[in-house]
Amino acid sequence: MTTRPTVTVIGADGAPSDSTHPLPEVFKVPIRPDIVQSVHTGIAKNKRQPYAVSEKAGHQTSAESWGTGRAVARIPRVSGGGTHRAGQAAFGNMCRSGRMFAPTKVWRKWHQKINLGQKRFATASALAASSSPALLLARGHSVTSVPEVPLVVSSTAFSGAAIAKTSAALALLKAVGAGADVDRVRASRKLRAGKGKLRGRRHRQRRGPLVVYNPVEDGRDLVKAFRNIPGVETSSVYSLNLLQLAPGGHLGRFIVWTSAAFKALDTIYGTTTEPSALKKNFLLPSALVTQPDIGKLINSSEIQTVLRPVRGAAITKRQNVQKKNPLVNKQVLLRLNPYAAAFSKEKLGQASVKQDEVKAPTKQSLTLLHEN
Amino acid sequence: MASNISYDLIWEITRQNSSYLVKRKQAGGVQFSRDPLNLTNKHSKKYEGYANDKAIGILPGENGGVTLLTKKTGSANKPSSALHTTKFGSNKSSRKTYRSIVSSTAKKGYRPDLRAEAVSRASAIRKSQKPVKQDKPAKLRGAKARKANEQ
Repeated sequence: MTTRPTVTVIGADGAPSDSTHPLPEVFKVPIRPDIVQSVHTGIAKNKRQPYAVSEKAGHQTSAESWGTGRAVARIPRVSGGGTHRAGQAAFGNMCRSGRMFAPTKVWRKWHQKINLGQKRFATASALAASSSPALLLARGHSVTSVPEVPLVVSSTAFSGAAIAKTSAALALLKAVGAGADVDRVRASRKLRAGKGKLRGRRHRQRRGPLVVYNPVEDGRDLVKAFRNIPGVETSSVYSLNLLQLAPGGHLGRFIVWTSAAFKALDTIYGTTTEPSALKKNFLLPSALVTQPDIGKLINSSEIQTVLRPVRGAAITKRQNVQKKNPLVNKQVLLRLNPYAAAFSKEKLGQASVKQDEVKAPTKQSLTLLHEN
Repeated sequence: MASNISYDLIWEITRQNSSYLVKRKQAGGVQFSRDPLNLTNKHSKKYEGYANDKAIGILPGENGGVTLLTKKTGSANKPSSALHTTKFGSNKSSRKTYRSIVSSTAKKGYRPDLRAEAVSRASAIRKSQKPVKQDKPAKLRGAKARKANEQ
């Protein structure tokens, strides 16, 4: 690809405007689902609330072992009398109302450290994957009505707090073709199975578009406008989160960019040779294999010239053919015996054998014979 | 399509898990696809429409007949204008429908490997649109026939 691909900026009414923007370099980062998945599992663990059983659970009794000689197990037993509880085993994880095995502690290692380079790679990779409509469709977004991916909406639509109301935000999403994805989320809302219902996770629903804005130019009014639309999330371009860019570790989140945010990408992430302005010691990763199309690799002249020519390409073995009798079928006979053509043309089959007359033996030969 | 993404890569990313994939444990773990651009509904690189530059989809039309979908090459990044749609009405004979499907795709070098699959899918859709024939009333035999004759 010689020309640098450009992306059309779409106006607030959904019509493509005259202005275009070259595709930022982040979108050319190699797509690595393995890195994204492992980083996602790590990051997803960092927002957990610590839980543990009570420190006292199973130990709120003054049980002591009876020792040997009483023909019962040496486990601690509840002291006293006058109640059924007296004499029952206590404390052990095998006991009724005993403590659990290895009681959970709030000081469990809840958080995972992920290397910064890997996190940056994963974020850049997830951004690059969001520019492929096929990956968006495979993730489940309904983007068939979207004019272009990546979808860049002109920042003039957001300027002066134009999108401060949810109705305006919803109208904008519908105008740019993201309405179908919002409807998909709305239709998907279901009651969660299990106890999660009681724990503040009553419903489950799909994820809709992610609106990425530039807080410097677009302001923050749009956050409040979008936040009550089901499935729609907003994120500042300066603090993109992998949990939003690749939910569940699956690549291809549908992102609606504001043009100011889209322009900021090159300064935030830099290029493969120019370091990023905002991230210390960061160059965009470049691919080890620059040609990802296997068909093009195989058919390239470099590979084709070192391959030996195909043997016997024109002859294909026929299977399941009826056997023909060469004595009856002339074509099969000719295949076995090419001489048969000349044989029948010369009518050698019908010709009688020529034989010279047998000469009577001469006297000389007879005498020679008899001498022996 | 950016230079870092190819259809081979898309297939490798999505072959284990995608929104189109239907996995069932029955019948040895069959894998089907919900992709409208998949002629056989099988989850494979050859048949998945999203994992190919060119793809054919055949769907039942609204008022009978079939709709032919093909992917436009070169507009991979423009989903709203990525598909070419042709409608074949229910009045067009099945044979003519197949002929136009084949001549607009396989004969022009557009996925010639999918010729038979396209025709058989169109044929299956046309067959499903025909009214179901009523079974003939069963002819009575033996004692039942005699009893019926008496009345």
